[in-house]
Amino acid sequence: MAELLRAYGLRLTALLWLAVALWIIGLVIAPLATLVARSLTSVDPQSIVATIEVDRLSGELAAARWDFDHATTPERRVEIDRRIRLLADRLRRADARETAPQPTWGIANYTSLSGLPGGVLLRTLGQALAVTAIALLVGYPVAWLAAVVLTGRRAALLLGALIVPWAIGDVLRLCAWATLFDPPGAGIPAMVYGYGLAMVFPIWAALTTLDRHQIEAARDLGASALRIHTRIVLPHARPGLAVGAIMTFLLCAGSYAVPQITPRGRGGDGFGQQVARRIFDTADWGVGAAYALALMAACLLVAYALMRAFRLRWRDLARRGG
Amino acid sequence: MARKPRDPARFLSNLYMSLFLIWLFIPLVGMTVTAFDASTLPSATPWKGVSPQWFSTLAGDARLMRGLAQSLLVALAVVALSLPLGLAGAMVLHRLAARASGVLLALLVSPILIPGLVVGLSTRLFWHGFAGPGGLWPTVLAQTSTVAAYVLVMFTLRLARFDPALEEAAFDLGASRALVMRRILLPFLAPTAAAAVPIAFLLSFADYTTTVFAIGGDTTLMTEAGARLRAGPSPVIDAVGVVVLALGVIAAGVWVLVRRPEPAPPRRR
Repeated sequence: MAELLRAYGLRLTALLWLAVALWIIGLVIAPLATLVARSLTSVDPQSIVATIEVDRLSGELAAARWDFDHATTPERRVEIDRRIRLLADRLRRADARETAPQPTWGIANYTSLSGLPGGVLLRTLGQALAVTAIALLVGYPVAWLAAVVLTGRRAALLLGALIVPWAIGDVLRLCAWATLFDPPGAGIPAMVYGYGLAMVFPIWAALTTLDRHQIEAARDLGASALRIHTRIVLPHARPGLAVGAIMTFLLCAGSYAVPQITPRGRGGDGFGQQVARRIFDTADWGVGAAYALALMAACLLVAYALMRAFRLRWRDLARRGG
Repeated sequence: MARKPRDPARFLSNLYMSLFLIWLFIPLVGMTVTAFDASTLPSATPWKGVSPQWFSTLAGDARLMRGLAQSLLVALAVVALSLPLGLAGAMVLHRLAARASGVLLALLVSPILIPGLVVGLSTRLFWHGFAGPGGLWPTVLAQTSTVAAYVLVMFTLRLARFDPALEEAAFDLGASRALVMRRILLPFLAPTAAAAVPIAFLLSFADYTTTVFAIGGDTTLMTEAGARLRAGPSPVIDAVGVVVLALGVIAAGVWVLVRRPEPAPPRRR
């Protein structure tokens, strides 16, 4: 803090801290806290049941009235009239039960995860891990060639050839993928195409700092290509591998685009669609918030596990580039 | 590494690279072919000749054009917000003790590690409420929380290469803080800022997941394209892809031509 004041002076220090405070509170902490609070409030399910019943009974009543107006025989009219009275009575009672919704606190919103949505979450995470593994195998040689083997103009050209498809964004990449490949529900190949490049760039960035003399020295001393990779290149690429694996996994697990675009509505949901349906279609906002947080928790857990597996420290993320 | 021309390792690496690039570019070629196809059905076969029909359809598509305008607006706002925020964050982190800066960094960078749908939902919820309409402002703020984190990382990496001796020398020679800032620190950070502008712009322009969950009933180019593609292949969206791709190729070409290697970092440890 004293260091800050010494370097920037009082006014600039205050301004910088104000910007940082607004950022942390307004864009990070407060939104997340609101989401957590919302996920813990639920509306009395009885009133939701009543709302659905009111909707259903109103529809049936309207249909019965239409039948009544178009009935041809008097006996049929009497029969339908009895039905209308019955429906109207039930509608009155359902209306009474549909009181103003009372929010209650608790974890009720999270409990439905044990059913089908939980299965979708697990499938989405498994798929994301599979894509990460495939991208690691495919992407490592590409990053190695781009960073170490190729030099000068060819390396720059290759980098450009990787950046352009990445820069157009996942929607347009998957649009391109879908013009050629049309297998319904084939999520994994589309995801490798959609997000695999996220693996290449961090490994490339880590390998650009590799001293090529190490490789030449190892080769002169008789090391095989495999041994050069396992003893020199892979250890040097480790932070890049970790960042790449984490980024690829996060993009796949949170992907809304792949289940939305590639199966053309014929394939299964991703977990993102499950959340969107609760929020946009059924207005189950508490449940949607709970699902979103469950996805976040799962992603952070896997990201932490990957960091441990690659022995990456938190500070390395910023030091080596993300 | 100089190698003999008939080197099998070289042959294998060339083969692998070619296969990878074919895999990467074949769908993009297919998209381009479909976008220029003269047939009115979305298909590259049978090929009926080149026609700009889908591009004129695109130019006359009010929803896509509106989406494009909103995308540009949102991207400009995200750049304008995330650059100062990222710079301020990096300047604070640079002068903070290791432990405090670690905590602060974790907080500021965390949106990168949070799924886009959570970022979009939480930002919209906090600024508008769920029942609120969502819209462009929640979208700008949601994207900014992620984009500013990337910009922060870029500035932090650059500052790690900063030689403090320069600043000390300037102070010793009697320069004021403002002068040191203007003549030493900001010029040092300028290349990073120049790189951060297009990156932040693209991160915003191409974003889909965060936007879908923050924007509510409004649209950007990407959410409109996603909604159309849900219904099936769409040559108009292919045309959008070709336009964006062409701009990307031009931008990348310029970048490759003007790129200069970074100065070596001062030795640590």
